[in-house]
Parts: sequence; structure tokens; C-alpha cells
Amino acid sequence: MNHPQKRTQILTSMLCAAALLTLAMSSHAAGDSQAGQQKNSMCQGCHGIPGYRTAYPEVYSVPKLGGQHADYIVAALKAYKSGDRVHPSMVGIAASLSDQDMQDLAAYYAAATPAAAK
Amino acid sequence: MNKTAIILAIAAISLSMQAQAEGAVEAGKAKSATCAACHGADGNSPTAMFPKLAGQQQDYLLHSLKAYKSGKRKNPIMAGQVTSLSEADMENLAAYFAAQPGLAVKY
Repeated sequence: MNHPQKRTQILTSMLCAAALLTLAMSSHAAGDSQAGQQKNSMCQGCHGIPGYRTAYPEVYSVPKLGGQHADYIVAALKAYKSGDRVHPSMVGIAASLSDQDMQDLAAYYAAATPAAAK
Repeated sequence: MNKTAIILAIAAISLSMQAQAEGAVEAGKAKSATCAACHGADGNSPTAMFPKLAGQQQDYLLHSLKAYKSGKRKNPIMAGQVTSLSEADMENLAAYFAAQPGLAVKY
């Protein structure tokens, strides 16, 4: 085997490895709506019930999430996790969510729903 | 008082409440021009940086505006926006955006 061929082989296999790694990473970075649906049991109880209101610290309707921008939902969850936003229930919930969880949940809620329930 | 008078009184009050509610949406629409710059026409924001307001819960919108005004909720852009809003303005804006089709409760 002469040297140029071997170098090409090594380079090619390195490129393939790099490409596969990138693909593997990118398939996780974006939110997966179906994964989000599996993870949202903590969210349903407040955000999923029409007419549901928080009782503490003040009484007002829990905001609708269906159709909201996914990145905005992620930003809000991160703000609760970092303490920039201070709602007690949300702070606790956000603390338990990984970045991937947040992306998945956001993708699920952002997906347009067929009927607008009010 | 006789029954007729009571029924008429209730009808009159209900009608005036309905008119007031519609008035709030109209007044909110008139006030919402600055909001549209970020949150989009009718509150359907095109970019994720500014949340969609269309169809959001009316009392949640009002609560949020008041929280920005009191400083309980911190956002430099919104803090500037609410300084010029009166209590009535905030109620009208909340009524207007809540009445637009958009967001939904998703289980």
C-alpha cells in the first residue's frame, strides 16, 4: 500500500466519523414534539385544563401554550430556572427540566392544534 | 317592585355590560398600534423573541401588564412600554388581544 492511498483512507474515515457524530448530535438538539407529549404530565394539570386558574400567589388564568412560539416557551422555562421569572410553581417545575426536556415540551406545545378550545 | 321592573332592570344591566365589554375590545384595538410592532398585527407575533398574544387568557394578559408595571416581572423592553399605560388601557389591551383568534389550551 503506498502512502497517498492510506492518507486518503484515513481522511475519508475521519470525515465519515465527523459527519455521523454531527448527525447524531443534531437529531437531539431540536425539540421532538412526540417526546414532549410523553413528558408533559406536570404541565397538563394547569396548562391543559380550560378555565384553570392559579390560586397562589394571585388568582388568574394559567396562560395558554397551544400555538405559542417554541423558542419563547424555552426562553420562559429557562427564565424560571435561572430565577429571572419568579412564579413559585413554575420555578419548581423548570428546575426539574433538562434543556432537551424544554426543547421537546416547547415543540409539543408550539405545534398547531386543529381546534381552538377556549 | 314588580317582576316586570326587575326583569327589565336585569336586561338593561346585562346589555350595558355587553356593550362595555365590546367597548373594551375596540378601545384596546385603538391602543394596540405600538404593541403590533413587536407582537404582530392582532397579537400574532412572527418572531419567537416576542410571544404571541392573540387569544391569550384575558386576565393573564392583564396580570402580566401589571407585573411589568410594578416591576415584579422584569423585562427592559416591556417595562418601557407599560409606563405610558393607564389601568384602563391595560384592561382594554388585555380584552382586545384575548379576543383575537390564536392561542389555544392544549392538553
